[in-house]
Amino acid sequence: MDSTTSSGGGGGGGGGGFAFPPHYSFPPFFTLQPALTTRASQLHSWSQLIQAYCRHRRLFALSLVDAVDTDLFCNAALGRRLSLRDAREVIAWMCGKEGGERAEWIGAGNAAKGKEGAEARAACWVFWRRPEEWAGVIEGWVDATGQKNTVLTLYELLESDATKSQEFHGMDPELLKRSLQVLVKRGKAQVFGSEDSLGVKFF
Amino acid sequence: MFLRHLDLTTALRPSLLPDETLLFVQDAVGLYEGKYKIPSYQNGHAYLTSHRACYVDNEEPRKHAVAIDLKDVDRPEFYAGFLKSSAKVTLYPKASKRSSLSSRAPVVNPQISPSPTPPARHGSPLRSVTPSPAPPPPASATWICPICSFSNPVPSNFDPSTANANTPLPPCLACGIKPPLVHVAKAAIAALTSRQAAPGTIAPQNEGVSSQVSEATRQGRGAEVRPSFQCPRCTFENHPSLLTCEMCGASLISAVDRRLETIGGPNVRRAESPGPSLGNLSLEDDGKECIKFSFRAGGGAVFFERLKNALVQRKWLLQSAPPVPTPQLSSSTTDEGGLAVAAGSDSSQGGQRKVVGIAGLERRGHELRKNNEIVIGNAFEDLEALMTSAKEVIALAEQFSAQAGVANDNGNPEASALLSQSASALGLVTTKDMLGSGSGSDSLYISELSRNLAEFLTDDAKGVLKREGGIMSLVDLWAVFNRARGGVELVSPADFAKAAELWDKLKLPVRLRRFRSGLLVVQGRERTDERTIASLLAWLRELHDQPPEEECSWDWRRYGRGVTTQEAAERFGWSVGVATEELEMAEERGALCREQRLDGLRFWENWLVWGNGSSGGRV
Repeated sequence: MDSTTSSGGGGGGGGGGFAFPPHYSFPPFFTLQPALTTRASQLHSWSQLIQAYCRHRRLFALSLVDAVDTDLFCNAALGRRLSLRDAREVIAWMCGKEGGERAEWIGAGNAAKGKEGAEARAACWVFWRRPEEWAGVIEGWVDATGQKNTVLTLYELLESDATKSQEFHGMDPELLKRSLQVLVKRGKAQVFGSEDSLGVKFF
Repeated sequence: MFLRHLDLTTALRPSLLPDETLLFVQDAVGLYEGKYKIPSYQNGHAYLTSHRACYVDNEEPRKHAVAIDLKDVDRPEFYAGFLKSSAKVTLYPKASKRSSLSSRAPVVNPQISPSPTPPARHGSPLRSVTPSPAPPPPASATWICPICSFSNPVPSNFDPSTANANTPLPPCLACGIKPPLVHVAKAAIAALTSRQAAPGTIAPQNEGVSSQVSEATRQGRGAEVRPSFQCPRCTFENHPSLLTCEMCGASLISAVDRRLETIGGPNVRRAESPGPSLGNLSLEDDGKECIKFSFRAGGGAVFFERLKNALVQRKWLLQSAPPVPTPQLSSSTTDEGGLAVAAGSDSSQGGQRKVVGIAGLERRGHELRKNNEIVIGNAFEDLEALMTSAKEVIALAEQFSAQAGVANDNGNPEASALLSQSASALGLVTTKDMLGSGSGSDSLYISELSRNLAEFLTDDAKGVLKREGGIMSLVDLWAVFNRARGGVELVSPADFAKAAELWDKLKLPVRLRRFRSGLLVVQGRERTDERTIASLLAWLRELHDQPPEEECSWDWRRYGRGVTTQEAAERFGWSVGVATEELEMAEERGALCREQRLDGLRFWENWLVWGNGSSGGRV
């Protein structure tokens, strides 16, 4: 659960490789705007930035406390940073309908949503692909490689050489399970096995 | 011409001549000419100044504003009002300006009926029965169409002596057939000759008089019988002491009550008064009769009192009169003088001429001080003297304050400048005792104050608003305004706020704006948010070309830099409070965005919104 910045592959994700958008070097970008339209536009920009950044770094979840010190939220060259509180605002916005549900608080999904205060909102999923989309991607790969009706372990899906070229290679197992659940619901897959050795069969 | 067009200030009040002072204002006033109402001059403000009696319409002030010069007024008359008829003040024009008949009319009338309403007796029948006799308006000539026998007016520019076959003639108004030239020329000549004969033969006018007389007697009788109440049900005229109708038994009390309301009720404003009204009004008409101001909401008596005083004082004479010989004047010119002091100083005058250099300067200064002393001494001896020499005292006060301003230059020059202006601002004060009593006096005071304020703000000479960058907070304005009033008749904050709120309703050229924080500011009506934003953005764009003073890590060529409210306040001459509000307004509109830093808040051009779309093209 406390998978902080679970960098999976780490193969190509160099620190300087990410090209930040131009507004990343615009000082007011790091102050949340009170004016509504400007704020919406700003949050949208932040959401785009976080998704792009996570996709580039192959991050599937963020721990906010740690992330605010990374170059995602902190522009060292400019000497500006987004405060932890504002970062929470941004993630909260991404979690909402407005932000396209591109994020989700880890641990908040159970019951107590937000009520437990800032402590509960320490880490979040960043869905640069939503679980439904991941399901589609995996299904497409299974289709393309003709592995229907075969049984694959989750480990195979994540770590085997066969999936190396795929985006879901090195994905967070938790997220993979959620994506597979989507497929199960659609009746396209079946998950079985115990905690450590989960297998999945695609139809 | 008796009624003159009136120039209005930006605040839709009569613009006063130099030395003219406002004496009285009353609203809900209608205008009569003779005994006829003048249409569209029926609901307005009456302004009495030391020089004029003015009417300004409520609906269309620019179009319907007229004034009567008091110097043309022969005498005023007051009619206290009776039953449904409102109190009226009648102004009779001077005899020299009027025709023989109309000057005779007031003499004739009192003999006919010494009743309380003489003004109604004479007047406009003259106007309606015969063309006015003074300078003949050519339009009064008519030609009769030979086809349909409709009588058409001869065109005003038609001159029978110069007309030829090429002169354009208008066709008959009824049948549209063009008349023969000879026909029209004949008619015009006939009209000319009859008009020339008219002053000798007063035949049609006599007719007018007789009709007036009969009308007058009829009305006079009516006025005598009038103290009775018409039963609302059966129209029987009952004795006033009866409570129920003698005829049908209906209660008369309601009728009585209504009467009381009309006379003294506070909120009853009669839009329509029952008097007959005049068909159309032409201000250029010379055969004008007496003019009546009808006071439908009271105030007539005070108006009349002040009018009488103004007619006695004849302030307008002062305008052309030479200034009162002052000691200062006499000592410098050394004429006959007239003042003992001047005579006394005469001997020393010879000596003064010889003294030159510093001694001469000192002597001159000494004499000046002496003269000032005398002026002040005389002025404050009694109130009357103060009134007559008010002009000099004010001049002196201005001079003193100017000197004081020079003396403590390092103090606050603006304050002393304001002080020196304060004396001249005395001329336009609206004070509570200047306004009509009765029903609407409070709201009238507020509306007058509102206009007064608008004038004060938009006056180019003072430039109060301009100096503050076109916008100032209401509290600041209140302070400046009260200061300009010179410490007398100060305006209470409550009245002030109410007056400011009236600007919109009165369509004055300034407006009151409430910022989100609740701060109230005053600004010109033409100054919109869009303009403010445009000027802010223009400023921020300039900053793209100026490298920031301190080291900066962002691309200032592209983003410019952030500005603080202090910088904006300095740049535009706003107060810091106003600058904050303006910047936040611009932020609200999406033109600016903010950056919160440890050293304060800065405002930037908003690249967060249009940065997205245009960034690709811009970089």
